[in-house]
Amino acid sequence: MWKVVVGFIIFAGLAMFALMNGGEVDMGGEKHGADAVHAPAEPAKKP
Amino acid sequence: MATIKENAPMTAEEKKVIFSSSLGTVFEWYDFYLYGSLAAIIAKQFFSGLDEGSAFIFALLAFAAGFIVRPFGALVFGRLGDMIGRKYTFLVTMLIMGASTFIVGVLPNYASIGVAAPVILICLRLLQGLALGGEYGGAATYVAEHAPANRRGEYTSWIQTTATLGLFLSLLVILGTRTAVGEEAFADWGWRVPFILSILLLGVSMWIRLQMNESPAFKKMKEEGKTSKAPLKESFGQWKNGKIVLLALFGLVAGQGVVWYTGQFYALFFLTQQLKMDGATANLMIAAALVLGTPFFVVFGKLSDKIGRKTVIMAGLALAVVTTIPVFKMMTKAVNPALAAAQASSKVTVTADPAECSFQFNPTGTKKFTSSCDIAKQKLAQASVSYDGIDAPAGTPAVIKVGETVVSTAVTPEDIVAGKAAAEKKVADLTAASPADAKAIAAAGVAVKAFDVPAKAKDAVVSARLGAALKAAGYPAKADPAKINKPLLVALLFWLMILVTMVYGPIAAMLVELFPTRIRYTSMSLPYHIGNGWFGGLLPTISFALVAQYGNMFQGLYYPIGIALMTLIIGMLFIRETKDVDIYASD
Repeated sequence: MWKVVVGFIIFAGLAMFALMNGGEVDMGGEKHGADAVHAPAEPAKKP
Repeated sequence: MATIKENAPMTAEEKKVIFSSSLGTVFEWYDFYLYGSLAAIIAKQFFSGLDEGSAFIFALLAFAAGFIVRPFGALVFGRLGDMIGRKYTFLVTMLIMGASTFIVGVLPNYASIGVAAPVILICLRLLQGLALGGEYGGAATYVAEHAPANRRGEYTSWIQTTATLGLFLSLLVILGTRTAVGEEAFADWGWRVPFILSILLLGVSMWIRLQMNESPAFKKMKEEGKTSKAPLKESFGQWKNGKIVLLALFGLVAGQGVVWYTGQFYALFFLTQQLKMDGATANLMIAAALVLGTPFFVVFGKLSDKIGRKTVIMAGLALAVVTTIPVFKMMTKAVNPALAAAQASSKVTVTADPAECSFQFNPTGTKKFTSSCDIAKQKLAQASVSYDGIDAPAGTPAVIKVGETVVSTAVTPEDIVAGKAAAEKKVADLTAASPADAKAIAAAGVAVKAFDVPAKAKDAVVSARLGAALKAAGYPAKADPAKINKPLLVALLFWLMILVTMVYGPIAAMLVELFPTRIRYTSMSLPYHIGNGWFGGLLPTISFALVAQYGNMFQGLYYPIGIALMTLIIGMLFIRETKDVDIYASD
């Protein structure tokens, strides 16, 4: 059991570390419907 | 058949059973989060060339892949699992899921093969949804049928911990790849790596699962020729079983689904969209609560072996009913006190023709709510503003009043020209500023583009007017990072996670124990996927519609509270305790 606990702590620690170092992800889970097929608009070019 | 083990450590064989079963659910969750984090990139790669009509059809199909195909998969693979065996069904679901994920990674995009690209992608997602429908029921059944009779709660609860593992694995692979190849290359081709790497997970899982034996309960039943010839008919066509399926759905899983979605997904939505917290910090806070909460799946699974599954699950539901609103109110004060103060001090009203106001329930995301009332309410809900509705005579365009400031929703072509000019000036000002904020420039650029699309231009003008009025009334555009009480926020999110673990930890064991071996896989899979997929999965869209309808950002919480209360009442009255049930008694 202790091996599982240690493994989980290391694994979770790595993920938290990655997140803290500027990891921009969406933890809201998979998108459905229009959200899944809608590509975000490109920003306008500099004037 | 069933063994009893008091506090003996798990055998190597039992560990292997749990590990091999859980790997499939790790896969499931790995995919779930990949499709979330990479949604924008995938949409750009596969759907950006589509016309409006085709995009509409693909949106409906993407909805079907998540919400309709899974329960169907539960029936297809549940039936197979009850007829030919858990082990082989399990292998098939894993193979389909893993192969679909891998193929997405090597699939040419729209620019290369045109409309065939989104067609193949949607087919893969439908296939994956089908396989997913059979995965959880198989894992729960397989583990429970190997577990000692007095430790089924503990053994099956390990399956639930895989959601966190799948999330962290996806985070590590995505962030690792992004760091290694750079942002531009990641958006171009690097996003494929997490999908392609899944082949390793598939290889290991298949190898381990091939070595596993059939569940002893199923093997015995097969040897005695007692397997069901028509599991679907037996499960749903005979009232004595059909009744239990309905009770499992309305007295257990529906409530579990909404408590889970509220604690993990709606909380994130609430932090970022309602409380205007930046996405990176909100994700970090949720991840911290997940890390702290995950071991409690096993704690409550184990506790359910001692004091009963029903006791633990019903206590979790009752606590969710009582504490959800206070917790979200405390969260508001902890994250965005300025918003809480503005909500309390400024009076906002929407005066509109009631015939123009819709209930903005939009599960597929394909409906357009374009009346002035709908736009006004949408904007206020998105800005987290509490408001009162006032009826106006028929045909009157909606008017928003923030304190004494009137915000009209009537927009003329001149307003659009002026709005676009103002937006362009903002881009120019931001570009000239030193240091330039690239994100703000990009966001302002997207705002300028909105004025070129007629359907969005009206929306953009109203947004700009409302934004100015709300700013004057003290509504903050963003949560101030210096004022966020992070320890309190993590504690509140942790509490929500505890509720999730209370209702989710013992659920697999309880579902398994409700049904006889011959129809177990079929009978438990369907309510699980309807409860989680429909009652839980539709939570964000139903909650948003409630917020827009009633003018209060906490109103959306009455949906999960209502479902949890319904489940609590039905569960307390009609669900029997199952922890001491001999799951082989009816074989």
